[in-house]
Amino acid sequence: MGGWSGGEIMAVAASHLVADDDVVLVGIGLPQVAAALAQRTHAPNARLLLELGVFDPQPAGESMGIADPRMWTDSKAYAGMLEVLGYMLQGGRISLGLLGALQVDQFGSINSSLVVEADGRRRRFRGSGGGNDVASAAGRVLVVVRHEPRKFKAAVDFVTSPGRRIRGAGRAELGLEGGGTSALVTDRAVIQIGDAGAVLAAVHPGEDAEQVVGETPMPLTLPPGGPAVSAVPTQVELNLIRGSLDPLGWYTR
Amino acid sequence: MGDKVRSLKSALDIVSDGSHIALGGFAITRCVMPAVHELVRSRRRRLTVSQTIGGLDTDVLVAGGCVSRLIYAGGSLDRFGPLYAVSHAISHDEIETEEYSSLAMTLRFHAEALNLPFIACRSLLGSDMVEPLIEAGTARIEPDPFSGRPTLLLTPLRPEVAILHVDACDADGNAMLAGPTWTTRETAFASAHTVLICEEVVESIPPERALIPGLVVNAVVELPGAAHPTAVAGSYDYDRAHLEEYADLARRGAEGLREYLDRHVLAAAV
Repeated sequence: MGGWSGGEIMAVAASHLVADDDVVLVGIGLPQVAAALAQRTHAPNARLLLELGVFDPQPAGESMGIADPRMWTDSKAYAGMLEVLGYMLQGGRISLGLLGALQVDQFGSINSSLVVEADGRRRRFRGSGGGNDVASAAGRVLVVVRHEPRKFKAAVDFVTSPGRRIRGAGRAELGLEGGGTSALVTDRAVIQIGDAGAVLAAVHPGEDAEQVVGETPMPLTLPPGGPAVSAVPTQVELNLIRGSLDPLGWYTR
Repeated sequence: MGDKVRSLKSALDIVSDGSHIALGGFAITRCVMPAVHELVRSRRRRLTVSQTIGGLDTDVLVAGGCVSRLIYAGGSLDRFGPLYAVSHAISHDEIETEEYSSLAMTLRFHAEALNLPFIACRSLLGSDMVEPLIEAGTARIEPDPFSGRPTLLLTPLRPEVAILHVDACDADGNAMLAGPTWTTRETAFASAHTVLICEEVVESIPPERALIPGLVVNAVVELPGAAHPTAVAGSYDYDRAHLEEYADLARRGAEGLREYLDRHVLAAAV
């Protein structure tokens, strides 16, 4: 359905959850595209930050990651991690964290460290970087993740970044101040995360709710009245992604 | 003002087998590649490496068999891929790792710079990173003495030798750089000995631009293009072809990494 890729509708759906007054700490990968898209469309006043010490950039496309200087284009201030992750994030000044994930669970905990293969071998991945810091302290967190069955678990193999509940413990009990994961945005749906677990808040155009639930191997309930249907990506949004934010399709194709 | 300008070899004499070094690169930017190559060529062994976000520098050093312990918050080569040699070495039990978050690494350097006995951090709580760190003796969860709430405490982190890339510095090591600084300054202040690899030694730098004062710098090495094939904001871009060549070889595992070292590290003479 539709003339867009899974990555494109993920970026669009995630961008719709960025508010104009958000101060956003942006993680590596598709979050970079979603944040920049929000800034170029409905949230021109959203402020972006990158953990290296970058304040308020207007990212150019084709960046290979957050360590690519293209991502720092037109920044308003440079500092370091102490300022961005310390003063801004731990200091309570970041309203939204946008993160990717290797694996997520029903309470929005993220694994970006390792997966345990069928033969018991552990495969290493990127690790936390600032991801754990964002999940610990941001006002709310959006996790952008491909809707592949292996990416969803009732409980992640390894908690790199804590969600709403971890092994039965709530965030306040653990000493965590930030709000934690509020939604998972996939290429098929928007899954709302609360203290009671995961709810299928919206499916993307053309997706069947029952089928999405059936193909998401973690507890996932339907809201009263059924899920909403996400907005169709507009030509303006698709043109921005294809023309300038991800022209080579590294993240969205 | 002292003249601290040295050759690369002489500046790195202080690193011996078993040393604890800190590297200042971040993924594919500001990696101190000539220093890493020199350590690989001089067959340094059993190094502990502390680095907030691992990049090409650490990956090549691990590929060269120089590292036995890595203290970091993870890392990657951005879209060029994961830290291939690090992942390979971990899965073959060739190196040990201590994994933190970026802020936890930052605060450990910061605590050492301040000579604090420990520092509180609001990250890591509830994550699976905490337990191994408690076992390693670098983290504890204790009640905050004032509020009684659970608080994560971290020990300070003191590398013996920091090797950091800057754009320009004077002969005393007063240094400046363009763009964001991640933990470059904290690492310089936390380390017992700091070596700067700079693109250019200049007569003087504007004092308000000095990110690192020369007082905490021990040696300066002038090497234009030192971060190649990684990027330096405002000076040069990453070398896409080179990084793709690295990723293609590294994906093949130990044999591919050896091929990379043969082509680009062991063959080259400084």
